[in-house]
Amino acid sequence: MRKRGKKLNLKRRSFLASTASIAGLAATASVVPISISRANHTEGEKGLPDFISWKDRNALIVHSDKGIETHRSAIGESLITPNRNVYIRNNMPTMTDDQIGERNNWKVSIEGVRNPKTFTLAQLKKLGHATIATILQCSGNGRGFFEHKVRGSQWKTGAAACVFWTGVPMKAVVDACGGINGSTVYMTSAGVDHEPTGLDPKKAMVERSVPKKVFKDAMLAWEMNGVPLPNAHGGPLRMVTPGYFGINNVKHLGKVSFTEKQSSVKYMKKSYRISPIGKKGSQYPSCWEMPVKSWITRPTNETGTVKAGKVQIVGVAMGGTKKVRSVSVSIDGGKIWKRAKFIGPYLGKYAWRQFAYEANLSSGTYNIASLASNGSDRQPELRMENRRGYAHNGWKDHSVNITVV
Amino acid sequence: MKIIKFLLVILFCSAINHQNLLADEAKMLKGLEIFNETAGCAGCHALKAAGAKGNVGPNLDTVNLTYESVKEMVIYGLGVMPAFGEEEILTKEEIDIVSFYVANSVGK
Repeated sequence: MRKRGKKLNLKRRSFLASTASIAGLAATASVVPISISRANHTEGEKGLPDFISWKDRNALIVHSDKGIETHRSAIGESLITPNRNVYIRNNMPTMTDDQIGERNNWKVSIEGVRNPKTFTLAQLKKLGHATIATILQCSGNGRGFFEHKVRGSQWKTGAAACVFWTGVPMKAVVDACGGINGSTVYMTSAGVDHEPTGLDPKKAMVERSVPKKVFKDAMLAWEMNGVPLPNAHGGPLRMVTPGYFGINNVKHLGKVSFTEKQSSVKYMKKSYRISPIGKKGSQYPSCWEMPVKSWITRPTNETGTVKAGKVQIVGVAMGGTKKVRSVSVSIDGGKIWKRAKFIGPYLGKYAWRQFAYEANLSSGTYNIASLASNGSDRQPELRMENRRGYAHNGWKDHSVNITVV
Repeated sequence: MKIIKFLLVILFCSAINHQNLLADEAKMLKGLEIFNETAGCAGCHALKAAGAKGNVGPNLDTVNLTYESVKEMVIYGLGVMPAFGEEEILTKEEIDIVSFYVANSVGK
């Protein structure tokens, strides 16, 4: 006896499904070549999905065509992660040029302000112009280290990047609208990338609320690392919420509202909640501020065996919403820690810092770890266990084992 | 006598094996139906074996999947994907069949 408590609206799906079904019966018996490589961590020159065919396949780990990670050693040797190496994590399909239309005519509406307005991208460009460097990091970066069965891409370190954004400061947009309405508590950003799918916006719209204060450093960005914001990264316009997890940096931005309550869509209310294993619900904290974190990018097990002698141990460190103050490195699994040097320019508290520690290593095996501090918080040794594998910043799991010969 | 017994055992095993194959074949056909119609998975996922070209969720041919991992995803959902088990959209049997189908169809 079939048991059905709830029914799904399958109108659109039924249409798609019946088309697919006919095709499916024909295709079942035939051998069809796969155009996109299977998930793997080692394959070289295999294809990438069409919408990111311009990326460097060798720098990337393909978990699926919607979840693509940067190799630990390809995170960026020069502080900023090149676009061709930046990870992909999309909740909705990337919008196409046809769906986007003329980029300068892209519209975003601003609500919850004294004078609500809708701006085109061309109009936004007249309101202000700034460049900031921030870390883009998926809430689930590090999920691959959790030992309980966690659904979703098994990211290790590569769902993160340090990126230059160019756009208009949100503060300038707010000023142009006469200021924020007094009673509001959140800045709520909504994407429009669900619209072409025809799915129920309550379930499919990426609309994220963050504390209102975030607007002071936020940006509506149209350029990424010196080029027009690629569609795959939310072009032509994306909300940038410095210090906050990637999901809050809403792609294909269509609306920003200052609201009294958090958005009620699924991506705000149910998803991205940090809950204990076995529990879930909107009463648990949302994936907002990123914690202090660091990891080694070289040498790693990806970079091969290391020759005995002087070895440069290099990595990246972030302070979350605060400036990262220090990084220490251990070559013996966390027994002894030595202070590493920050290298490269300081691009502001929301960018990561590169660090280097010179070690004299004789032949043998080593467990190398890094531990960052932002003055008030430092990385814990262990991960914070949680149902969906979010916000992992424990140093132990992020350590690397290397062999010196 | 021993040879006859041995041959009977072989025959019996072959029959069971044949039945299992038929059962698997039936499961695959039913799984295809659930994937494309009952659950509408095809609306959101690409899966070449099913002729499905959905582009909301991952292209299943690009993911390393097992029967267990598919089943867990179908039961609990993820993001925009409904929790077909928790929300009782599919029966346990349907979840079992569609998970078997997907796990045995990816990359084919």
